[in-house]
Amino acid sequence: MTSDSVQPVVQTAGLCKTFKDFWRRPRVEAVKDLNLEIRPGEVFGLLGPNGSGKTTTIKMLLGLLYPTRGRISLFGRPPTDVGVKARIGFLPEESYLYRFLVAGETLEYYGRLFRLPQRIRTDRSECLLDMVGLRHEARRPIGEYSKGMARRIGLAQALINDPEFLILDEPTSGLDPIGARQIKDVIKELGRKGKTILLSSHVLSDVEDVCDRVTILYGGQQRAAGDIGELLCKRDVTQITTPPLAEATIERLRDLLLRLEQKDILGVSHPRAKLEEFFLRIVEEAQAANVKTSGARGAGAMPDFLKAPTARDVVDTLVSAATRRIEPTVPVPMDESALAPSPAQQVLAELLGERRGAGGALPAAAPAPAPPGGPAAATGPEHPRPPVQADEAVIQSLVNRAGGDTQRPPE
Amino acid sequence: MGQVWSVARQMIAEGIRMKIAVVFLVLLGTVVLGLPFSVSGDRSLTGRVQTFMSYALITTGALLSLLTIFMARSLSDEFVNRQIFLVLTKPIPKWRFVLGKWLGMTVLNAVFLGFAGAAIYGMVHYIKRAYPPLDEEFDRKELENEVLVARHATPATLPDFSRPALAEFTRNMEEGRYADAPDFDPAKEKQRLMTKYEARWRVIGPLDRRVFEFENILCDRSASKQVQVRYKAEVAQYPTDEIFRSYWQFGNPLKGAVDYEAAMRHVVGRFHTIRVPADCVAPDHTLTAVLHNRNPYPGEPQFNNVLEIRASDGIEVLFVVGTFGWNLVRLLLIMLCKLMFLAAVSVLAATVFSFPVACLTSLTVYILAISKAFLSEALDFVTSDRGSAFASFSEFLARAIAFAYEAIHWVVPNFGRYDAVETLVNGRNVSLMWILQAFSELVLLKTVLVLGLAMLLFYRREPAEISF
Repeated sequence: MTSDSVQPVVQTAGLCKTFKDFWRRPRVEAVKDLNLEIRPGEVFGLLGPNGSGKTTTIKMLLGLLYPTRGRISLFGRPPTDVGVKARIGFLPEESYLYRFLVAGETLEYYGRLFRLPQRIRTDRSECLLDMVGLRHEARRPIGEYSKGMARRIGLAQALINDPEFLILDEPTSGLDPIGARQIKDVIKELGRKGKTILLSSHVLSDVEDVCDRVTILYGGQQRAAGDIGELLCKRDVTQITTPPLAEATIERLRDLLLRLEQKDILGVSHPRAKLEEFFLRIVEEAQAANVKTSGARGAGAMPDFLKAPTARDVVDTLVSAATRRIEPTVPVPMDESALAPSPAQQVLAELLGERRGAGGALPAAAPAPAPPGGPAAATGPEHPRPPVQADEAVIQSLVNRAGGDTQRPPE
Repeated sequence: MGQVWSVARQMIAEGIRMKIAVVFLVLLGTVVLGLPFSVSGDRSLTGRVQTFMSYALITTGALLSLLTIFMARSLSDEFVNRQIFLVLTKPIPKWRFVLGKWLGMTVLNAVFLGFAGAAIYGMVHYIKRAYPPLDEEFDRKELENEVLVARHATPATLPDFSRPALAEFTRNMEEGRYADAPDFDPAKEKQRLMTKYEARWRVIGPLDRRVFEFENILCDRSASKQVQVRYKAEVAQYPTDEIFRSYWQFGNPLKGAVDYEAAMRHVVGRFHTIRVPADCVAPDHTLTAVLHNRNPYPGEPQFNNVLEIRASDGIEVLFVVGTFGWNLVRLLLIMLCKLMFLAAVSVLAATVFSFPVACLTSLTVYILAISKAFLSEALDFVTSDRGSAFASFSEFLARAIAFAYEAIHWVVPNFGRYDAVETLVNGRNVSLMWILQAFSELVLLKTVLVLGLAMLLFYRREPAEISF
C-alpha cells in the first residue's frame, strides 16, 4: 500500500506495560515487548482474546497510560503531544459520554475541544447525526440512550475532526447488525479515502471484512502478524464459483479432474447467504414501510467531509486555487522560473483544455497528457520546474478516475 | 480560551442538569426569601434588617462553599466514569482542562452570588417598606443613615505621648529610680510610660473636657450632609439611671469650619452616634470635637463621675462614601475571592482523590480557613512552651501537630480576615483596598499556587491508571 520509506503513523519499539499495586510492586504485565508499525492508509487489525493487552496498547497509543518501558511514536511524535491528538479520532470500547448532554451538545463539545470553527462544528454535527441515524433523537440526553445508540454517538464524536488516524476499540460491541454493518461501511469508506485505521475487536469476521493487516496478541505479546490475505489464504484448496450446474456436469468435471490432476472434488454445495445480509434486508423492508421506532433509524449517507474526494471535488478545488493564483496583482520583477505554472494550474488546464498566452500565468502551449511513466515525464523545456510530489498524486488519481468517482491510493 | 470555556460550560451544564447546583439554588432561595418572615431582631426595623442581612449573607457564603466542595465531583467522576478517556484524547492540554473545571465552578459561584445578592437587596427594601419602624426619628433614620449606606470611619488622631513619656523616663533615670529594677529594659519602660499617658488622656474627669482631632474626612462638606461621631463611654461608677449627660462642641471656626454644639443624654457602656452637619468639617478635611464632662441639663441630677473613652472601643467619625447597593456588590466580590480559592482546592483534591475523599479534604481546608484565627491562637499556646519536644509523648505529639499545622498554615488563608458581613451590616464601607487585598492573597497568590499544583499533579497522573 505504501512504500517503506513513508513514515509510519504508529511505531512502537519494545513496548511494555506493567500495572503495579498500591506499594508500586509489579502485579500484572499487560503488554510485553510489543513492536508495531502501522503505515499510512492501512486498516490495521489488533486481535486477541480478553486480557491479551489490546486495550492497554490502545491506551498507551493515546497517552492515557504511560509505557513502563519502550517507545511509542505517532506521526513521529510522542502520543502525549497535543498536536498529534488533533489528527486522531478515538472510539473507546464503551461509550464514555456525558449522560446529561444531548447528542448535538456532545458533538458540539468535542468539536470545540478540536477548536473547529462554529460553522464547521454545526455542519459536521448534523451530518454525523444523519450518518449514525440519530438526527431525530438529537435532543434526548445520552443517559436515555440504549447502548447501541450511545455507541453510534461515540462513533460520530470520533469522526468530528475528520481524523487522519482512527482508533476503534471494539467498535461493533453493543451494536445491532445494522450498526455493525454501518461501522464496517464507514471503515471501508475511510480506508478508501486513505485514512489510517486501527481496529481492535473480538469479532473476527469484522476484522476479516475490513482489515489489510492484522496483529494477534496473546498474554500481552505479539503472536502473529501480517497481511490478512496472506495469513488466511488456503493454498492447498482451489475454489471455483459458477452458476448452478447439473449433476451430470459435476460428474463430468470430477472425471476430468481425476484424469488431468488425479484429484477429486472435495465438496459440492450451494452457498448460503449470510444471516447478516438476510437480517439487513428484513430491517430495510420495515424501514421502507415506516414502522415506528424510538431507536436508531436507517443510517444516512457518509458525510461529505469524510468521503473520498471525487474528480469533481478535485476540479472545484483546483479552480478555486487557480482563481486565487491568477488574480491581478501589482507587477513586480521576478525571475523566469517564477513564471512557470503551478502544478494545480497545469492540471486545471489539462482538465479544461484551456490555452493561454504568454502574458497569462500559464504557458502558451497546451501541456501534453501525462505519459504512463508519470507526470514528471511531461515536464519539457517550457516547464522548468517539476511538479511537487503531492500534485503528482492528484494527476495520477485523476488519470485513474477516468471511469469512476473514487479510487484508493495506488499500492 | 475557547477550550477552557468549553470545559467550563460543560461543567456548568453538569451542575445544573445533575441537580447539584439546583438543589443549592433552591436552598439559597428558601433561606433568602424566607428569612424576612422569620427573623425580627430586636423588634426595631433596623434590627430586623441587620439580622436578615447577617443570616442571609452568612448562609449564602456557607451554602456556596459547600456547593463548591461538592462540585469537585465533576472532576473525580470524569475518572470514575472514564469520560476523561475521551476528553484527553482530544487536543486539549491538561492544564486547560483543569483550568476549565475551576472556571466552571467560579462562573457558577459568580452567577449564584449574583442571584443571592439581588435577592438580598430586594428583600432588604421589601422589609423596609413592609415593616413599620419603632419611631420615625430614630429607627428609620438609623436604618437609612447608619445601615443602608457605606460609611468610612476615621479614628481620632492621638496626641504625641512620646515626649512626656521620654521626659519622665529621663527624670526617673536621673533620680536613679530604675537602679534596683530587675531585668530593666529601657524600651519597654518608655512604652509603658507612653501607655500610661495615653490612658490618662482617655480619662475625662468631672467638669473636665477632652479635644479630639480627626483627619482625612474626605466627605461632601455641605450643610445638608452629615458626619457621624460614634463613641462609647464608660464611667468609674454607674449612675442610678445609667445615663451620663455631656456637652459636645463640633467644628473649629479658626480652621474655617462651622461650629455646632449639642447636649447629650447617653446610656453608659453603649455605642452612640451623634449626627452633625458636614460643614463642621474644616476645608483641610479635619474635624475638631470637644467632649465636656458636665451636665448641660439644668434641673436634672448631676453625677460628678469620671468618663473613659477606651482604646479598644474608641471614638471615630463616620461619613458616607457610597451606597448600600455597591457596598453589597463589593462584599460579594470578596466572597467570590474566597470561593475561587475554595474551587481551586476542590479541583486539586479531585485530581488526586476520588469524590468522597476529595470532598472531605476540601471541607477540611474550608473549616481550617474559617477557624484559622482560633486555631492559630490554640497552637501558638502549644508552641510557646519552651520545654523539650522529647520530654514526653504528649509534648512530642503536640509539637508534631503544631509543625504539621504550620506547614499548611501558609497555604490555607484566614477567611476571617475577609469576613465583610459585619462591616456591611453596620453600614461601613467595604473598601476597594480590601477587595484588592483579598484578590491578591486569595486569588493571585494562593489560588494560582493551588491550581498550579493541581495542574502539575494532573499532568503527571496516568488517566487510565489502575491500582490494585
